[in-house]
Amino acid sequence: MNHDLFGFEINVWADAAARLGLIVSLMTVVVMGLIYGERKVIARFQQRLGPTRTGPAGLLQSVADALKLVAKEDVRPKSADPWVFELAPYFVFVPIFLMFVAVPFAFHWEIRVLELGIFYVLAVSSVNIVGWVMAGWGSDNRYAMLGALRAAAQAISYELPLVMSLIAVGMVADSFNLTDIVRGQGQVPNIVWQPLPFFIFFVAMLAELNRTPFDIPVGESEVVGGPFVEYSGIRWSMFFLAEYAALFILALLGAAIFLGGWAWPLGEEWGLPWQLALTAIKAGAIIFAIFWVRVTLPRLRIDQLMAFSWKVLLPISFVQVLANGLVLVYEPPQHIADILLAAISGAGLVLVVMIMNRSVGKPRPRPVLTNRAAAATPPARSEAAR
Amino acid sequence: MRGLLKSMGVTLSVFARKPVTRQYPETHRPLPERDRAFPLLLWDENLDEPFCTGCHACERACPVECMTVLMKDNPAHRSQGGTSTRRKIIDKFWIDYGRCMRCNICVEVCNFDAIGMNNTWQGHEQSVYDRADLIQDLPQLLAEHKAGDVKPWIAP
Amino acid sequence: MTAPFTHEHEFETQDLMINMGPQHPSTHGVFRMVLQIDGEVVRDVIPYIGYMHRGGEKLAETMDFRQGIGWMDRTEYLAQHNAELSYVMAVEALAELEVPERAQWIRMILCELNRLSSHFMFTGAFGTDAGVFGTAFVYSFREREVILDLFEEISGDRLMYAYFRPGGLAWDVPANFERRVAEVLKSTKQGIKDMDGLLTENEIFRARTVDVGTISAADAIDWGCTGPVLRASGVPLDLRRTEPYLYYDQVDFDVVTGTNGDVYDRFVVRVEEMRQSVRIIEQCMERLRPGPFLPDRLPRMLRTPPGEIYLRTEAPRGEYGIYMVSRGGNRPYRLKIRSSCFANLQALRDMTIGSYVADAVVILGSLDIVLCEVDR
Repeated sequence: MNHDLFGFEINVWADAAARLGLIVSLMTVVVMGLIYGERKVIARFQQRLGPTRTGPAGLLQSVADALKLVAKEDVRPKSADPWVFELAPYFVFVPIFLMFVAVPFAFHWEIRVLELGIFYVLAVSSVNIVGWVMAGWGSDNRYAMLGALRAAAQAISYELPLVMSLIAVGMVADSFNLTDIVRGQGQVPNIVWQPLPFFIFFVAMLAELNRTPFDIPVGESEVVGGPFVEYSGIRWSMFFLAEYAALFILALLGAAIFLGGWAWPLGEEWGLPWQLALTAIKAGAIIFAIFWVRVTLPRLRIDQLMAFSWKVLLPISFVQVLANGLVLVYEPPQHIADILLAAISGAGLVLVVMIMNRSVGKPRPRPVLTNRAAAATPPARSEAAR
Repeated sequence: MRGLLKSMGVTLSVFARKPVTRQYPETHRPLPERDRAFPLLLWDENLDEPFCTGCHACERACPVECMTVLMKDNPAHRSQGGTSTRRKIIDKFWIDYGRCMRCNICVEVCNFDAIGMNNTWQGHEQSVYDRADLIQDLPQLLAEHKAGDVKPWIAP
Repeated sequence: MTAPFTHEHEFETQDLMINMGPQHPSTHGVFRMVLQIDGEVVRDVIPYIGYMHRGGEKLAETMDFRQGIGWMDRTEYLAQHNAELSYVMAVEALAELEVPERAQWIRMILCELNRLSSHFMFTGAFGTDAGVFGTAFVYSFREREVILDLFEEISGDRLMYAYFRPGGLAWDVPANFERRVAEVLKSTKQGIKDMDGLLTENEIFRARTVDVGTISAADAIDWGCTGPVLRASGVPLDLRRTEPYLYYDQVDFDVVTGTNGDVYDRFVVRVEEMRQSVRIIEQCMERLRPGPFLPDRLPRMLRTPPGEIYLRTEAPRGEYGIYMVSRGGNRPYRLKIRSSCFANLQALRDMTIGSYVADAVVILGSLDIVLCEVDR
């Protein structure tokens, strides 16, 4: 019962413990880096400097924040439900870390190779919503409850398009094993054949992560932080840790499934450092895009969010799966199949953009400008009003 | 979609610009000459005494009543054998910086140009731990101009 | 628990009361509204004001005409020059003072610059209400900062200027005034462009604001709304045009009106008004000539003959009026401030009922209230 870990034969339990420790320590470091990176990037988008005080160029800001949060008093409201309130952070925190198991970093660099990797990731990722609802319900705060219910509705709505978009890619790649999917993209990344699922994945990812423009559950200007309203100190930081860990993992998944992960271009030929660099660059690009979207866009409203998921993304992703199935079942020659897939998916993307444009309507004409001649006299009340 | 892309373009173009913020406690923005922090009393270097004669004009004009003025006979006046031309001079002066609303009226009503607004950063950075410490007495009010640290701007 | 409770159905549902404010990130100060919500839909809104009440009108009655100016700054802390202007113009009308031409032009320039800074404040805060992560806020504050720097160079203070005086100005503007205004306008134009590009055409922003919080022209007039809120409903009432004060009849500008009276219109009307303000300032700068900034003969302590006056001007948020009764002393016997925000805020309930919780925030933001002015 021995396992292979970085070339060493060790006991199964020691192996599991080592891998677990690896996940937790790596995640913590990565999350701290991400928080620092986000603050710096967003600061530049807003012509600011971001953190500069702690350490050189503010590099130790996240460490200082972590220390502060750990040292802070862990307040529990008097009327909160003690068990639900205290356990909620773990229900958010643990599933996110379980997602980490199947993510491929480089060739043979993953915690476990799972045959149904995509399904595992999706199944685990949707568990954390239980923690959100627990946090909202247990806090005995109306803002928290409102936020938690919004989070639940949003997570359920966007889970489906996310699943369907990944199924579409799985059909094209002929595998649900993440390692196989990445290896299959040695020549061309999946985004070329499946641009529409990538778009759906990106949007659904934003919604799953509760990021702008889908940060409805935590919108500061409406529900003041949503389910986390009553949390402080270490428990609050666990929510935060989970949020950024999920951001990192979903970015890695997006890079692996759509952008070719470590395999494209020339991943297998150039060896491990290049593969790691590829993964980092692609995941970094997705994360940067998320930050960029966050800094630019306003927040959607809950009904618009729901409508976008159920009326646009979900039907279109079903159509994509159906089209992929039709193309693949009749087994046309390889290049024709590829072109068909890309064409159908591209057309779908155009359709989504058109629907988005139409649903908002044409830009309103500029406001009416009245010059001096037209407004020489004040309008009589009766004329203007009735 | 076009509007979204346009917005993204705007933020990206700003990304390339230089930050506009300052590292405040280290870098202080140069203050304009007319900057108004808190009022302080001016020191007459020629006669080595304050300009203020304690005439109560500023005290009466102050909208928030943050000043307390007491005058006395000037011991350095000529009639007393000194060199000063001021018959009366300020004895005690308190300004409660916690009440002052920095409206500049005291400077305007002063007949002797004896009070001015601090236009340096020291004037703005007056935070203390106790409100009572904000009440400035005569030596404190005179100290900065006496040392030559400030050159208040008084409207012509 | 003792109240009689009859079950008509097996399950009774109950509306949720949510207390928004006085400490809430998007109530723009200490405003409190209790929302009665059914799911996400607002069924009723009960606004509570008065947390900021400082008895300002009564206080101003204890102050003479110069001291009162400083108080006007504090009632309208985003459009201080406009608030001072109403006050000093009321005093001038009572005391029958002639104001020199240069002072009038400078007042106009400063008031329009103040309108710009106030509208920048609105666009920034409104962007945050709509959910932009601080970007709109930082962009607009960048521009507002430039304008405030200019105000500081002129009056000496960044917020509480106390610069206008009955009869003119406290002192003349600095020598490099024209160059500085040109610099500020250049930066302001860029800022308006940024803000326009960031929000106006953005689909998500439009989805959030179009047809939200609509108020018809008739309702807006009935509630006493003024300023951009009224003009967004399509009523071209701009006091600068309908009853020109200062030299607004000598400059060329457009009155901006919306068509729909919704939140989006209130936003674009303000953005367009900023462009018009830039136009007005440019024309004023051309006509600014050297000269005195105070009348030749001004008494040391200004006293007005007995009388009363209601004088209104177009502040960035609407009609800012001063009703002043004088019994012939050096201070007003009675001072009443007609607050534009207070009237605009009354329409909140009508606009909000039936919309979503998220809309309530946006609608409140679109009214652009200053709580100090509401409560005085």
